[in-house]
Amino acid sequence: MIVPLNHILLVAAALFFMGLSCTLMRRNLVMILIGVEIMLNAAGLVLVAGSAFWQQLDGQMMVMLIMAVTAAEVAVALAMVVYLHGRTGTIDVNTFKDMQG
Amino acid sequence: MNDVLIGLIVLLPLCGAGLIMLGGGCWPRRVTELLAVLAVASATVASALAWPLASGDGTTLELFSWLQSGPLQVSFAFHYDRLAACMCLMVTGVATLIHIYAVAYLHKEPAVSRFFALLNLFVFAMLTLLLADNLLLLLLGWEGVGFCSYALIGYWYQKDANASAGRKAFLVTRSADLFLLIAILWLFKLTGTLNLEAINAQAATLPVATVTALGLLLLAGACGKSAQLPFMTWLPDAMAGPTPVSALIHAATMVTAGVYLLCRLFPLLSLSSTAMAAVATVGAITALYGAACALAQRDLKRLLAYSTMSQVGYMFLAVGAGTVSGALFHLLVHAFFKALLFMAAGCVIHLADGEQQLAYLQGVARRHPLLLWPLLAGGLCLAGVPLTGGFFSKDAILMATFTAGGQYFQILGGLGLLAALLTALYSFRLLYVLCGRRQLAPIAHKLPISMLWPLLPLALLGLGGGLLNLPPMWGGNLRLQQLLETIDVNLHPHLSAELVMAATAALLVLTAWLWSRHRYWRCPALRPAGRMEAFFLRGGEADRWQEELLQRPFRTLATAWRQFDEEFLGGLYRGAALLCLQSGQQLRRLTSGRLSHYLTAMALGLSVLLGWLLLQLLQS
Repeated sequence: MIVPLNHILLVAAALFFMGLSCTLMRRNLVMILIGVEIMLNAAGLVLVAGSAFWQQLDGQMMVMLIMAVTAAEVAVALAMVVYLHGRTGTIDVNTFKDMQG
Repeated sequence: MNDVLIGLIVLLPLCGAGLIMLGGGCWPRRVTELLAVLAVASATVASALAWPLASGDGTTLELFSWLQSGPLQVSFAFHYDRLAACMCLMVTGVATLIHIYAVAYLHKEPAVSRFFALLNLFVFAMLTLLLADNLLLLLLGWEGVGFCSYALIGYWYQKDANASAGRKAFLVTRSADLFLLIAILWLFKLTGTLNLEAINAQAATLPVATVTALGLLLLAGACGKSAQLPFMTWLPDAMAGPTPVSALIHAATMVTAGVYLLCRLFPLLSLSSTAMAAVATVGAITALYGAACALAQRDLKRLLAYSTMSQVGYMFLAVGAGTVSGALFHLLVHAFFKALLFMAAGCVIHLADGEQQLAYLQGVARRHPLLLWPLLAGGLCLAGVPLTGGFFSKDAILMATFTAGGQYFQILGGLGLLAALLTALYSFRLLYVLCGRRQLAPIAHKLPISMLWPLLPLALLGLGGGLLNLPPMWGGNLRLQQLLETIDVNLHPHLSAELVMAATAALLVLTAWLWSRHRYWRCPALRPAGRMEAFFLRGGEADRWQEELLQRPFRTLATAWRQFDEEFLGGLYRGAALLCLQSGQQLRRLTSGRLSHYLTAMALGLSVLLGWLLLQLLQS
């Protein structure tokens, strides 16, 4: 392996925290979804790295699965965002608090 | 001769009841009435034909096995022996006459199928009780007659008083039945069987203290059905039912079931002198109490009810004194003349258009010679006028009590004599009121002939009942006592003692006659009651005592328990519910509805989880 495993893990961790902070900080629904995607990609990166390190294909298969699921998830989530925008005219998460107890 | 007859005795009334219940609404009432009378009449014929089967140890007919569970083997079997045969003949015979009477008595009633179905069902239950081979089957009949009594007392249930009289009868007898049930379960535990003969055979092996306790339990059970002290309060109220019901159930048959039970288990009972003395005591005191109350009554049917109670008390006294034949003798004779008196009372009440107060019934019976003579015969039997059936049967009981040994029984015999005096007094009072010369009450109705002729055979049976068990002094041969020799304790009192007894009894009747003639001949109209009379008019305040001693504490306990339930237990639950509600109110603040909060919480939770995992990793 050209790149040491540690480096990849560090990059992945940085990526994960960037995604997490994006999810937590932003109020825009689309940006929150993007944050989630970034976290998922960070996890995928770790899986690929592990797969290369141990010379096993399992990790790569897992990544393929994550990609497929993510695609579906994003499609549904974006559809809902479009619907919400159509209903209220905004995609600011703080306006959606109908579930308040 | 085959055993099927025994089954027929019981099953014919059941078939009658079933048919009337199912089809009573479909066919004309003539058919219902005919069916009811035929069912009981054929049962009478069957029990008469089956008489030879009762000889020796009797015949047992097993229909099927009822319960089988480990050591518990209960078969649906009937045992026809002499005791049961005598009772069966009496019950079916009297029931037939009363059924015929009831057809005429209820001729104005719009729907009678319920009445006749219940009456037939009662006869079935009574015969089951009499013929039962084991205690469980006996209990089935026992409860069956109790239910029919309840349903028939409240036959006119639209009137509240009738319905509550039925309920009272049911509850009081049921509470006494509890003792019988305990006795039955205990007997099963001790002997491992419920068969009556087997229990009687094994009785001698039981310790005396146990037998005493069992005897007292059985006595309590018998007291409930037979309206003896302290379970007697239901009988006077039970007169709310139609008069044929009072005649059949509350005079001739059902109230003697307690006596029959004690006679059946006499071999067991006789082993404990304490239990025997208790039975005799209850009998003597009830005889006196009933007679005193009857003397004060102003209602015709209530008078007869107290009189029944008193006469059944004599039967208990007889059992306690050890003479089953004496008890059975009085039971049979009493059934005849008391059924007769009740039916005659029904005629009188019918003539006076439903009036039951003695003050308005003066001289009513004089209008009908066919009513007057049987009524006179019944009253004289009840009074124990020499040479009537009641004289011989009561004499036999008092004789047996005096010769039973021990000073205690002498006292009881004295009480019995006193009760006999009171009995004669109230019988003569009744006769003077109903048959006296003074005619006050207008006659409103005509009597159907079929209400009158059933009185005649009963009058003859009552008058000639002494022939059943005529003592040798009068040229008889104690037929009944010889029939029952297998279970009876044979007593051969001295001839002179018998003579003294008969003379005393005759003297008592004479005294009572003179006294009542002096008191009631001129003015049978009832004077205002003195304090003593008012006390006995209300049945010795028995209802009030029952209210004070049982119902009020029970009600207080029930109220207290309800308060405990509502205040304490309910408070506990309400408090717990309030706690949950409050904490829920507090917790709902956490759900702000904002996605960002949730996401933050999720991230925090995740980091805590990861941190904990890291810690585990570092430690290991």
